[in-house]
Amino acid sequence: MQTNSSLRLPPQVGQPATTFSMMLDMLVALLPALSMGIFFFGFRVLVLAAVSVGACVLFEYGYRRFTGQENTVRDLSACVTGLLLAMSLPPSAPYWVPVLGAAFSIVLVKQFYGGLGKNFMNPALGGRMLLATFPALMTTWPQPLLGVDAVSAATPMSYLHDGLLPPQTLGQLLLGQQGGCAGETSAFMLLLGGGYLLLRRVISPRIPLSYLGTVAALALLFPQGDQGALVWMCANLLSGGLLLGAIFMATDPTTSPVTPRGQILFGIGCGLLTALLRSCSSYPEGVGWAILTMNCCVWLLDRAGMPRRFGISRFHALKEQWEQLRQSTAEIRFVKPKLSFRFHQAGKMPGEDHLEQIRTQTRCLGCLGVVVLAVGLMLFAVHRFTDLNTVRAENQRQQALLSQVMPQAAFSSETPYRASGALSITAGYSSDNQLLGYCVEVQSQGFGGVLTMQVGVNLNGQVTGVAVTDHKETRSVGTNAMTSEALSRYIGKSGTIRSSGDNSVDAVSGATATSRAITDGVNRALAIVANLDTEGEVEYVDSEV
Amino acid sequence: MKHSFFGGVHPAGQKESTRRKPIARLDPQPQRVIIPLCTGSLGGAEPLVRPGDPVKVGQPLARGTDGGVGVHASVSGRVAALEVRPHPWGGSLPAFVVDNDGQNEPWNDCPSPLHLDEITQSLLLERTQWAGVAGMGGGAFPTAQKLEQAAGHIDTLIVNAAECEPYVTADHRLLLERSDHILQGAQVIAQCLGAKRTVVVTEGDKLNAVEAVERRLRKRGVQMELCTVGTRYPLGAERQIVQTVTGRETPADRTALDMNCLVLNVATVFAIQDALFRGRALTHRAVTVTGGAVARPRNLWVPIGTPLRCLLECCGGLREPPELILTGGPMMGIPQNSLEAPVVKNTNALICLTKWERRGQRPETTCIRCGKCVAACPMHLSPIFIAQALRQNRTNRLPALHPQDCIQCGCCSYICPAGIPLIELVRQAGELLEKGGTA
Repeated sequence: MQTNSSLRLPPQVGQPATTFSMMLDMLVALLPALSMGIFFFGFRVLVLAAVSVGACVLFEYGYRRFTGQENTVRDLSACVTGLLLAMSLPPSAPYWVPVLGAAFSIVLVKQFYGGLGKNFMNPALGGRMLLATFPALMTTWPQPLLGVDAVSAATPMSYLHDGLLPPQTLGQLLLGQQGGCAGETSAFMLLLGGGYLLLRRVISPRIPLSYLGTVAALALLFPQGDQGALVWMCANLLSGGLLLGAIFMATDPTTSPVTPRGQILFGIGCGLLTALLRSCSSYPEGVGWAILTMNCCVWLLDRAGMPRRFGISRFHALKEQWEQLRQSTAEIRFVKPKLSFRFHQAGKMPGEDHLEQIRTQTRCLGCLGVVVLAVGLMLFAVHRFTDLNTVRAENQRQQALLSQVMPQAAFSSETPYRASGALSITAGYSSDNQLLGYCVEVQSQGFGGVLTMQVGVNLNGQVTGVAVTDHKETRSVGTNAMTSEALSRYIGKSGTIRSSGDNSVDAVSGATATSRAITDGVNRALAIVANLDTEGEVEYVDSEV
Repeated sequence: MKHSFFGGVHPAGQKESTRRKPIARLDPQPQRVIIPLCTGSLGGAEPLVRPGDPVKVGQPLARGTDGGVGVHASVSGRVAALEVRPHPWGGSLPAFVVDNDGQNEPWNDCPSPLHLDEITQSLLLERTQWAGVAGMGGGAFPTAQKLEQAAGHIDTLIVNAAECEPYVTADHRLLLERSDHILQGAQVIAQCLGAKRTVVVTEGDKLNAVEAVERRLRKRGVQMELCTVGTRYPLGAERQIVQTVTGRETPADRTALDMNCLVLNVATVFAIQDALFRGRALTHRAVTVTGGAVARPRNLWVPIGTPLRCLLECCGGLREPPELILTGGPMMGIPQNSLEAPVVKNTNALICLTKWERRGQRPETTCIRCGKCVAACPMHLSPIFIAQALRQNRTNRLPALHPQDCIQCGCCSYICPAGIPLIELVRQAGELLEKGGTA
């Protein structure tokens, strides 16, 4: 009963919280916001979260197993990373997106540095920001309560970025009726989770309060919009990923400073960067980048925020700190890499040692090669997927098509409507946001094969333009029916176009089959637009490209 | 201006089982008591009686030398032996074994009780020295020496009734039941030493004692402050209580006396008052016997030298086998190997913890850099960095982190969610630095 009790160290009691219970509390605190996300964006969010958590746990287990380290899945940190990652994704993201993010988060950001407690960057945010390099995927925000297949809606962030107040009321923002990531929309639920964490003393209020306080103060000092500074401040605080970032991401114990003063500085830094990025960068949201940037400064903040020694005056404390700063800067020096390629050792015949040396060096070089290759591949992939030229070219091609099909329209936007026979239906708008008509992509059977074309129809049911986008017709025979003057004959027609008689367009001689095919297509497009069911008033906003 | 100290932790109080129980006499009386020769943290003692001599309650057994404290018989009977016995501070030290005859006859040659008007500074010092008073809150520093150093140049007398350790209620009950004596004692000490301000510091979980003291203060009309602060460990530590009352920070190489403050535990003040006004030596003290393993937890008035076993017997024995038995509070207390060790002057509690109560000493996991240890350290240390520097053998970083400032309060180990023995690492770092400094 009392063996070696003298070896027991004081204190003899401990507080009940462990790493496991802290992570569990984190998961519990995230649940309200997640459930709100599921309510607004549908069951898909839950699946997304499950995929993300599963992938994180799997990668953590796999990596630890692969490298022969002790299994750390039980501390639940991988689950927290997975859930945070899923909650910072758009609800419409494909299911492979969180898997890729999880691989980057767990393997590159966390385990390469030694696992829990040793990484310098928040894993979930690291993964999220890698995924942010796919702009097409990560900036499609579904409207809440309409399902993910609805339209891509503008988030309040893009309004704030332009210096306008979002159309939602503050109450809607608080509850979460805004476009955005799956878990960040409901400010109320996030605050509820934050309150829980504070009550359980899992996080200290220093980082969230200084972070939100800084953002609020900056919003109060530089108000925009037309409803006063207070409304502007509230809109700033409640929209976007600010609350999710301030309460759950910035307070990640591993990647935030440990000293109380350092934590306050960290929060202020995050707030300043967030406000700066939100107003000045080309990307409407800045929370993620701000936190990641401050993560990189943690070592500095820890030194700057070191508590003053007990019992010495402020002047002496300052002097001591200055001395420490001088020492720290003296520690920084550039280390020359030790790469030696000596194959012969003096006074020794090439033997076992020599072979051993060659082997080690080959292994070193091999590792180096693999790392260089991996980095190169990653850079290539990032370049490939984020090639803005491709995006721009695609954009220009669509604009050109639009100007041919509907010359009056300034821009177009995808519509959710589906009709049999139409590949896609896009709506055309004038420069002052007036709906002008629809562009219908249809196919018909030509002489040589399938013929794809876009037909513009205005709201009166008249053709505004026709463009052939793909065909298999014979060159200089069938294509005679596709010249611009041949196609311009359709402009202004409505109803059903016949091959002869009233309301007809004559076939181009020598290209009768192709002409008939085009006429068929135009007729089908006209029929589709005439029967288009535009009930269920939906507010259309342009997609952000 | 309200002051406070930085950091600290909020351990579960666990005082509910004993805080309403009055201090009771020990019953049955111990058959024999073991009174260690050394009961103060400084100096030695020289025996005055030999085995076989009859002794009475209050009779000196040993005289303090080199500024040490004397000891007195706490029961009447016969000295059976002077031999090496287990000491509650660890190890074994020479102690008087006194066979109890159960009569409790008082010693006739006690000094006479003094009147309030005739007490002077020298008389106070002399009486305190004679009564063998040592710091009864935990330090066991010879009080007479402390008073002598303090005489004349302190401006604040702090009566420490904070009792921030969980489980312990002995000081709380003493303050509640003997308020009059304690206030009188504090008043006399302040007068003799020339302190302008007297402050009684208690915590918010002893509101009935606070009420009792306040009522008596109003009745007596004495110039004394009552400072009640929110419960937070380690308020009772000397540096923290000085900071809370005066806002002065005591550097690591100084004591509270250098900051013109004298901090005395309530039990010490009561012992001094007893010696002055009733001419009695320090022979008894209040001890809380508690913990989940004790059948009937209670507060006891115990003769010094009573083996811990007798205390447990008086409380109905053990309900279940304890995981750990310790003297003092669970944060800074000393684990006991045997129940034969006696109660000494600084033993304020005997706690038998069950397995479900301990929760300490979990298997160590990785540090997740939560920073709770930094936010909890009342001495402004960064245990996480000290532990890192020590474990990575970067001893050149240690001097800037001041591990020698540590007061061993255990807040860092208590709060650590990863179960890292931070207090031990900080202690090692401090020792390493001191060794390096002298070599």
